[in-house]
Amino acid sequence: MNKTLTSSLAPQSKTLQLLFLSLLLISTKGLAVEVKGLVQLNFVKASEQSSWFEEGTGILAYSKDGANVQQALLQLSDTFSNGLSYDVVANYYQLGEQNLGISQAQISYKPLSSAKLRWRARVGFFYPKLSLENVDTGWLSPFTYTQSAVNSWVGEELRTAGLEVTLFSPGRTRNSPISWEFHGSVFKANDPLGTVISWRGFAMHDRQSLNNDRVPFAPYPSVIGEDRIFHPNYVEPYHELDGNLGFYLGAHVEYYKQSTLRYYYYDNQADPLEVSHERLYAWRTKFHSLALQHKFDGNTRVLGQWLSGSSVMGNRFVYINFDAWYLMLSHKHKAHRISLRFDKFKVREDDVFPWDQNNSDGHGVTLAWRYDLNKNWQVGVEQHINKNSADIRATLGENIQVDQNQSLAVLQYRW
Amino acid sequence: MSKFILVLPILFATFFAQSKQISVSVINKLNMPVGNVVVYLTPKIPLQCTLPNKIEIMDQVDTQFLPHILAIQKDTQVRFPNSDSIKHHVYSFSQVKTFELQLYKELQADPLLFSNLGVVELGCNIHDWMLGYIFVVDTPYFGKTDIKGNLIFDLPNGEYQLNVWHPRIQDKVTSLSRQLIVPAESEINIKLRSALLPDVNQYEEISGEFSDYE
Repeated sequence: MNKTLTSSLAPQSKTLQLLFLSLLLISTKGLAVEVKGLVQLNFVKASEQSSWFEEGTGILAYSKDGANVQQALLQLSDTFSNGLSYDVVANYYQLGEQNLGISQAQISYKPLSSAKLRWRARVGFFYPKLSLENVDTGWLSPFTYTQSAVNSWVGEELRTAGLEVTLFSPGRTRNSPISWEFHGSVFKANDPLGTVISWRGFAMHDRQSLNNDRVPFAPYPSVIGEDRIFHPNYVEPYHELDGNLGFYLGAHVEYYKQSTLRYYYYDNQADPLEVSHERLYAWRTKFHSLALQHKFDGNTRVLGQWLSGSSVMGNRFVYINFDAWYLMLSHKHKAHRISLRFDKFKVREDDVFPWDQNNSDGHGVTLAWRYDLNKNWQVGVEQHINKNSADIRATLGENIQVDQNQSLAVLQYRW
Repeated sequence: MSKFILVLPILFATFFAQSKQISVSVINKLNMPVGNVVVYLTPKIPLQCTLPNKIEIMDQVDTQFLPHILAIQKDTQVRFPNSDSIKHHVYSFSQVKTFELQLYKELQADPLLFSNLGVVELGCNIHDWMLGYIFVVDTPYFGKTDIKGNLIFDLPNGEYQLNVWHPRIQDKVTSLSRQLIVPAESEINIKLRSALLPDVNQYEEISGEFSDYE
């Protein structure tokens, strides 16, 4: 009897042992995983124009005064000796449709090398490195809370689900002040890219879309009407609709760590006639992006970005040309950082339906002061003002032109 | 007891050994001082009991190696702390010491022992602009020139070979080496014949500040 019991227990205890060993390995390994986190709580004095999250036509994120969780993210990463690394960013957002999800997840391979010419690659769900503004943990901006129109759009509609290969040469290995990188990527999905700037127009905020997110906008009659374009008043930006591969090419040139230029050409190669059962269209969206940064010294820098492109859906049902740029000056004095940014953006249509009005434009000024109390805590305030117009507001009986102001006080904790 | 009899004369000799200050200066072909040059004097008669017992530090501060050049005596251990709030992945492909170290923030890696002589070039696989050097010598008499290109040694009497090293110096090592007799000589001037390699130390002046790609 005992023997039987022992023998029947043996596999179980082996399983337990294996389980224990695995847990031990995971926990030992767990020590090496780098965990970063960041939480921002704000108090906002909102603009009177309600935001797209409330199906309004405003271009700022908040619709009501009050306290909010502005950002909450966790970044897990690790690097292995064979050159492999991974990086996952999980976010919680109070605003928007999907409150919990993943904004980036990638596996990178960068072989250890001392060669003058090197390569690396990454696969997953990530941002092309076209922004010099979003350089903090989790693609946040360390400068202002309300991000530029260019990168607010990138954050809400653009993500690469694919492969990027980079050829690069660090200047220091060549005893040269110039470093360079060439990036090439092929990707799937991201077919509805361009929807939100065609109807709502550019906006300014820090809400990145998550893996299965849905970006809402106002129920414009020309969009939702069954006898009109008959499109829902939202977009789910990361769908693959036509099976086509998109691509982008990028080049970075850097003078020491002082001056940086980044150029990208992006084309999602979507078939604009493709439409899903949800009536989401594939939008053929192409653009050029040029970003520049110059650091006068370790404390003062000027940076800017210019984005110019086009997007078409259906049989030229909507065709837009868009342009947006910003220029920012940021100065750090001890634990204080003060940043001032000017944004300008414009969308112009050239399509077949005069009743669907896609012209929009505007400009804005954002001034932020952020103060590091210590390495974990930061406080900051920001004032943003903009003047913007969108012809499509007329279809809802609203004024085309709107002035918006938003004030933010933010408490940040990072670890 | 016999051991004591053997050690006693050495102690005696050491105690009464004469020493002298030797001043070394390094200038380039335009007579401008060259700082941060490793100068080392190897005694002709090998020294005994000179094993270092100190752990040296090669830190990572503001995504740079600090110091840029660390000179150490053979068989010294070097610790690689990480004073940044981000991770580093330090490596060397140099024959003198090939290694890689994952330097997680707030985690201490064990020190490494450097037992071979020569140059160890350090890089970081996360921050490609980071570059540092460890230079391993076989003598306790070494140092780096100051900003004016000067260095002062306190040397016991004897015969030495003086050498200099810096990553930007292109002159052959042998052409810059000197034989030195202490106390006969007290001032050594080294003049470089070839131009220095381009100065790209501006990489050290402004570096990455934020945790993501910059």
